[in-house]
Parts: sequence; structure tokens; C-alpha cells
Amino acid sequence: MKNKLIIFALILLLPASAFAISGEEIVRKADDKATYDSAEMAGEMRITDRFGTKTSTFNSWSRGENESLIEFTSLAERGQKVLRTENEIYLYYPDAEELIRMQGSALRQGMLGSDISYEDMTGGKDRASQYKIEVTGSETILGRDCWVLSLEARTRSVPYPKETVWIDKQDYIVMKGEYFTKSGRLLKEMEVLELGEIDGITLALETKISDKMKRDSDTILIVKDLKANVALDDAIFSLEELSW
Amino acid sequence: MKFVISLAFKNLTRYKRRTLITAGAIAFGIMMFIMVDSMLGGAEYESVRNLKWYETASVRIYNEGYWEERHQTPLDINIPEGASVVKKLEESGYTASARTVFSGDMILNAEDFGEDGNLSVQVTAIDTAKDYDVFHYGDTLVDGRFLEPNEEAVLLGSWLAEDIGAEVGYWITIITRGNGGFYEAMDLEIAGIVNCPNPNVNRTLIMMPIETADYYLAMEGAATEINIKLPDNADVEAEAAEIQKTINSFDSSVKLRALDWKYMASDYLAMVEAKRGGTGIVLFLIFIIAAVGISNTMLMAIYERIRELGMMRSLGMSDGKIRASFVIEAAGIGLIGSILGVILGILANLYVIYIGFDLGFFMRDMDIGFRIQSVMRGIWNIDTIAGAFFAGTLISTLVAFIPTGRALKMDIPSCLRHQ
Repeated sequence: MKNKLIIFALILLLPASAFAISGEEIVRKADDKATYDSAEMAGEMRITDRFGTKTSTFNSWSRGENESLIEFTSLAERGQKVLRTENEIYLYYPDAEELIRMQGSALRQGMLGSDISYEDMTGGKDRASQYKIEVTGSETILGRDCWVLSLEARTRSVPYPKETVWIDKQDYIVMKGEYFTKSGRLLKEMEVLELGEIDGITLALETKISDKMKRDSDTILIVKDLKANVALDDAIFSLEELSW
Repeated sequence: MKFVISLAFKNLTRYKRRTLITAGAIAFGIMMFIMVDSMLGGAEYESVRNLKWYETASVRIYNEGYWEERHQTPLDINIPEGASVVKKLEESGYTASARTVFSGDMILNAEDFGEDGNLSVQVTAIDTAKDYDVFHYGDTLVDGRFLEPNEEAVLLGSWLAEDIGAEVGYWITIITRGNGGFYEAMDLEIAGIVNCPNPNVNRTLIMMPIETADYYLAMEGAATEINIKLPDNADVEAEAAEIQKTINSFDSSVKLRALDWKYMASDYLAMVEAKRGGTGIVLFLIFIIAAVGISNTMLMAIYERIRELGMMRSLGMSDGKIRASFVIEAAGIGLIGSILGVILGILANLYVIYIGFDLGFFMRDMDIGFRIQSVMRGIWNIDTIAGAFFAGTLISTLVAFIPTGRALKMDIPSCLRHQ
């Protein structure tokens, strides 16, 4: 009984931070949450710029954090594919029957003119080890209590040297993100507009991404359907299959 | 023989108008040949000069792994402590300057440019104190001022500035990836506009101070290239080998490689070589046109004198002497035409070399392969002038053989009745 009292007293004396989850842990859980062993998705991209709004539909397949294939199904872009392998991104244009490897500054170009760059598709999601992460506060987004985290890159090899992200405390979903250059200029902004549940998985159904270097421009990414942890053929992510 | 020469000379002076018209046709052909050859040679010469003066310098030093990856303009394959390498090169007697070249997106703001826009660009960060010693931008400024060290400003090529509607004082934003891969954005004021005679450069040129690029891109004193200027008549291959030996002796953490401009511009030189084939065909066609013109006028001149030839035969002059008289007369016409042609060719060349033809109106929007921006100038080519002179005289002489021979095969009454 005496021992139990001592332990209880010690627990009371421990600082509150000892129970708090670390920034690294939050980001790691959020990145894990956003990565499926394998997934098949159908979605839509609503791209708004100064010329108006354009809608493109697509199907995508992904495996782990390094492999994905997007095939556009909307009339104007039907058959265009974007393949991401561990180190490369390839585009396939069916009309020209041309395969293009994206590299260098071309990676900053928006996919189909959207605010999502090819660069945004690259790189691993292991931000917990790449950034120095600090929890700076709490805010409510879409009625959900979120941690506000400030990320500063430990390495030069990440595209965004500074990030501020809002992560949902309940489901570890990144609800909002601001992505900065090294000198602190806001380059890109991401915000979840609608949360929902598909196949028992809570996820962002509508996400707005804005390239802050483009005026009056944003892209809304809509998830129509998601099947997580499905069996996917290796050929889906092969270069040989890309032009078929 | 003296009589034959005298007869030929008399015939030349007797038919002054015919002689002058025939010689004039020969002269025009020779003048055109000399002028076109001068212009094509001049375009090639100026292209090479503009390539060295504004693009490649004489010799360039890279990190050994850079050349294969140069199209990606990688910042991480660099020359550490660029300024210190330049200093060592200067101590070895070379004129050198460091540069950092990177790719990015140029963002144009509606406030200055009327509407928003962006385009992919390549930016060259220069050592503002030394770059003009290696490259020849010193006299190309058409608006504003040159760059100052450390400032957040750019110089633009005048064609690029025209294309995007840029003026001095406007601001642009360059978004790029720094050394390692991180994003960086730089707001830069347009400090000046340069009109570079190399069209490839003038269409795309964006320069900024190397110190500013160093700070934003986290280069930590590294540069992507060091350019070296050599005298125009230097044997660049031998000099590059010498520079390679010099840099091998430097205590550098990376292996450096010196490349001469011929190696760097090998694609361009291959194209020039192919173009030279085309140029040869153009010159050959001009030569053929001139030769046909000369032949035709000589044929006409001889055929219209078949009656005269019949008269000489009926008076007892031998066929050999008649042929010799006509051939010498033709050679005389060819000589007069060639002399006139060379004089006219030299006069035309003076204009082509010192004033030139301004072809900027169509070179502005098309790439003809040559690195010349607008005024196409010529060069002196003594071989061509001498060759055209001898060819003009020789062709005129040779073509006289055929109609004279045919006329001599006719019987005398037929010659006398010939209309």
C-alpha cells in the first residue's frame, strides 16, 4: 500500500509534458495514416484559375509511399497517365504516344495545370525524421480539435524547408498545411474542406490546394471512391505497361 | 600569231557594246559569288565569336560530373569555394570568373506586367566585378544599369524583355530549388536590359549577382562553373589541356574538368559543318548560274558572227587561226568581266563587311542556326576572290571552243548564208 502511494505521488509530480505526444510522433502517425499498403481510388480535380474552372476525373492506384499511377478519364485528358516510381516520375500522352521523364525544374509544373505540382508527388512521407517539429498550439478546423505544428527542415533535400500543419487530434488527418520557402515565403496552401468516411476509413473527401505564386488559382481534389489494401498487380507500376 | 592576237583585240574594241554587255554579265556573276561567299563566311565567323563572347567563353571549368547532367543545371554538382579557384587561376595568369547557373520559374505580377504569368527560365548568377572581363557584356547595356554585388536585381536580354513586356524598375519573382532540393523564391528588380548580339542568349538571358544567388540557394561559396578568357587566336584545345594540368594541382575537394569552347559547342559546330555543306551547294549554284550566263553570252556572241567567220575562211585564213582569234577574244571578254567582277565584288564586300545587311526583322522570330542577331556582315576571302577571277576568265575561254568548232565544221557558203 505504501509503495502504491509513492508511485501515485510520483505520477502527480511528473510534468504534464511527459504525457503529451511529441510533434515527431504526431507527424509520423499522420504520415502513416495517409499512406496505404495499397489503394485504388477514383477522384476528381476541380482546377480554378483566371480563365475559369475545369474538371478532370481520374483513377489512381498506389502502393506504399513510393509507387503510384494516375490515369485521367475525363474526355480532354483521357488516357494521360502519371507514373511515380521510387525515384522518377513519368508522363504518358496517348495522342503523341510519348513518354516523358519529369526532371529538374519541370517537376514544379502543375499536373494538368493544377496547383498540385509533380514535385508534390515525389519524395517519401517520412517527415518526422526530415524535419525539426514543434507543437505550437491547438486550433479547431471543421469542428475538429487540431494540433498546430511548425516544421523546419533538418536537411536541404526536402522541397519545402518550412511547413505549418494542422493535424486532427482524433484521427491524425492533416486538416491544413502551409508550405514555405527557405526564406519564409508562403508557396503553397492545403486545406481540407470536407471530411468523410469511405469503407470504414475516415479521410479528407475534399481538399483545396492553392499555389500561392499563382493569383486566383486553386485546385479542389475530391475523393469519390477508395478501396484500401487491395491486391495490385506489379505491372501497374511498371514503365512497360505505362504506354498500354 | 601576232596577227591573231591583234585581230582578237581589234574585235574586242570594234564591238564595244557587245564586249561590255558580255563582260558585264560575267562581272555580275562574279560579284554575286564573291558577295554571297563573304556573307556566309562572315555569318560563320561572327557566330563563333558571339558564341565565345556571350555563351561559352574560351574554356570552362566544371565539377567533373556536371557536364553529363548540365541540362538539369544541378547545383549540388558544383565547384566548392569558387572564388578561391578563380584567385588561383588568376595567380596562374588566367582571366577567370565564376558563375552559378540554375533553372527556375519566373513569375510575372499583374502590377507591373499587366497580367500574371510564369515561364521556365535559366538564370545565370555572375561575379559582377569579374564577369565582364571574361564575357563581352560591357557594351551591351541599352537601358538601366549593370548589376551591383549583393543586390536583389537582374539584367534581362532585350528580346526576353520585349517578349514579356519588361521595363527597368519592374519586379519579377524567381522560384527555384536551392542546393539540395529545397524551394526558394526571390523577388528581384530589373536593374537593366542588355542587347546581346547572340540571339540565343538575348532571347533568354537573365543575370543576377552571384552573392545573392549564393545566399538564397545555399551555395556556401560554391559556383557551378568558372569561365576563362583566352586570346582570340589561342589554340584552345592545347590551352584547355594546360588549364587542366593547372587545376589538377589545386587542392580541391572535388575533381575539376576544363572544357574548351569547341567541346562545349560541339553540337553547334556539327550543325555549322552540316550548314557548310548547304552553303557549298548555294555557292555552287551561284557559280553554275554565273557560268551558264557567261557561256550563254559567249555562245550568242560567236553564233551571231558565223557569217564573219565564213568571210575570213573564204579569204583564206586557216581554221586554227580563226579558232585562236575567237578563243583569245573570248578570253579577253572573260578577263575584262573578271576584272570588273572582282572590282564590283570588292566594292560590294566593303558594304557587306563594314555596314552589312540588317536581317533583324526576320531573325527576331526565327532561329537560322547562326549566332547573329540582326546585321549580317561579311569577311574578306582572298581565295574566293582569286578563284572567281580565274574561273570567270577560264570559263569564258573554254566555252568559245564549242561554237567556234561547230561553225568551222560548216561549209563556207553555209557560213556566209547563216542568219
